[in-house]
Amino acid sequence: MNDGDVEVFLSLVERHRRYLYNLAFRITGNEHDAKDVVQDSLLNAYLHLEQFEQRADLRTWLNRILVNCALDHLRARRRRPDLHDPQPISDVVDSVVSSSPDPERLAVSADCRRQITEAMNTMSPLERVTFALRHFEGCSIDDIARTVGIGHNSAKQHIFRAVRKIRVVLEAHRSGR
Amino acid sequence: MSHLSDDDLVLHYYGEDGPRIVAAERHLRSCAQCARAYAGLARTLDAVTPPEFVEPADDALAIRQLIRDRLSGQPAPLGVRRWLWDGDVGVVALVWLVPLVYPWSLQTLVSSARWAQEHALFVPLAALTLIWACAGPCVAVFALNRMVADRGARTSTRLLVAGALIAAISPALFLFVSRVSVSLSLNVGLWSWYGAIVMGAVAALFRWPNRFSSSRRFSYVHRISALVLTVFVLGHVVNQALAFISVPAYTSMRGVMRVASHQPVLYVVIVAAVAIQIATGAAMGMKNVRAGAVARNLQAVSGWYLAAFLLIHVFSGLFVSQPQAATTTATAVNQLNLLATPRAAASLPFLLLGVAAFLFHVGVYARLAALAYLAEASVRRLSYAGALVGATVVVTVGLALFGIHLIR
Repeated sequence: MNDGDVEVFLSLVERHRRYLYNLAFRITGNEHDAKDVVQDSLLNAYLHLEQFEQRADLRTWLNRILVNCALDHLRARRRRPDLHDPQPISDVVDSVVSSSPDPERLAVSADCRRQITEAMNTMSPLERVTFALRHFEGCSIDDIARTVGIGHNSAKQHIFRAVRKIRVVLEAHRSGR
Repeated sequence: MSHLSDDDLVLHYYGEDGPRIVAAERHLRSCAQCARAYAGLARTLDAVTPPEFVEPADDALAIRQLIRDRLSGQPAPLGVRRWLWDGDVGVVALVWLVPLVYPWSLQTLVSSARWAQEHALFVPLAALTLIWACAGPCVAVFALNRMVADRGARTSTRLLVAGALIAAISPALFLFVSRVSVSLSLNVGLWSWYGAIVMGAVAALFRWPNRFSSSRRFSYVHRISALVLTVFVLGHVVNQALAFISVPAYTSMRGVMRVASHQPVLYVVIVAAVAIQIATGAAMGMKNVRAGAVARNLQAVSGWYLAAFLLIHVFSGLFVSQPQAATTTATAVNQLNLLATPRAAASLPFLLLGVAAFLFHVGVYARLAALAYLAEASVRRLSYAGALVGATVVVTVGLALFGIHLIR
């Protein structure tokens, strides 16, 4: 492979980069990690171009690589908690935010956002990834199991546990308000 | 219809309850309690909306540079210390160092065990050298955890994986190479061992097939053959642990097991199960190996060791003229000390790691399977209990192999 190949590859993935970056952001919860995950996944994709089957969709293939890179990244981040300083997931509770900058509502929203970030950070990497794919991306449990490379039941249980963690934090927050 | 569980409600929220969706919906309309619970869940999950679309950072230049650096094999500029630690060089050197110095660990083990028999002060030293002799698989797991996920595209990654493999199976491979050398009367000493290591290193220089298939059918066949083999191996492990309690009981059980395993049908079943385990394990082996996935890497490394262990244990009689091959344990108990001679000492890490690899391989699989059905906290508690039982079994077997028995 030469420089020309790299340029062609980059132009091919360019149209998917926005989608990949946002998927990574939704999974990892912060822009810095999302950037690293996208870079790692595109590097991996380029190194394994020969594994890309022509009948497959490029975005689906890139999606699978990115999800596994994000998993690796979350696992590594978990082993180095001192480096883990994610920004809160922005606007995860848009529904409670008013369009007018009402200070009280903004404060409530910021607090709620912090609670969700906290809940997401208590999730294991697999719980976080499966939940993000199911809840934010709307992927079916079967697709998630295939993408992550785990069993259907295992994927289901990871989502259940993630939802439980979200509920514990948010419902406690709601009842305390 | 009985009340819907929390998990049923989650499945219904995501429309993942399959054919039960209509029954669940009908139940929610008729049951106030479940409807209330569902409304609460929906309110919570509705609040967790996706983060707003973010414009990607303009890092096309960085990606281009990353790919070029990787293709030219030049690591990003780093300090020497970080290069050795974060890069591959240090880890690759470490995995190849383990098999290179493995013969010395055995010699040191025998010497320190002799000193320990003369003076109890040397017991910790004997324990340390035993840990050194058994360190290969731990180093392999550590190395795989730091592996760059390129599935063997780079020579350094292949060197790392091949080194990790040889480090992991060093005790079994060393025993095998020694036996072959003896049976062929090669009289080349340790050079046969270094020759085997060089062959492994040369194999790493060629590109490997980069498709690691892992269909569900493979996993299924792997699990079924594992079940057959587990019965056979468990019998051996229990018997080996029994040697610590009573030598006569051990000898009787060994006699029964030997008669049973020498039945042609049973022998064929065991050999077939071993062959299937190794073939399906090799097909799936590298799929889940990746940086940071400690459990998966532990599963792979214990699988490698088990494959080498079973190959030598079960097939040694077929291709190596070694009359003692199947009776190493018997020799150990009869001599009441595996550390009596350097040659017998080579069997100690081989057997101990065989037991540990079996327990780890089954234990990690059980843990991953349990995660699909039980809460993480329960699985963690069960894992601790399993680790305690496993450690007790390994120590008991170790004591028996050291020639310590409650009843002789």
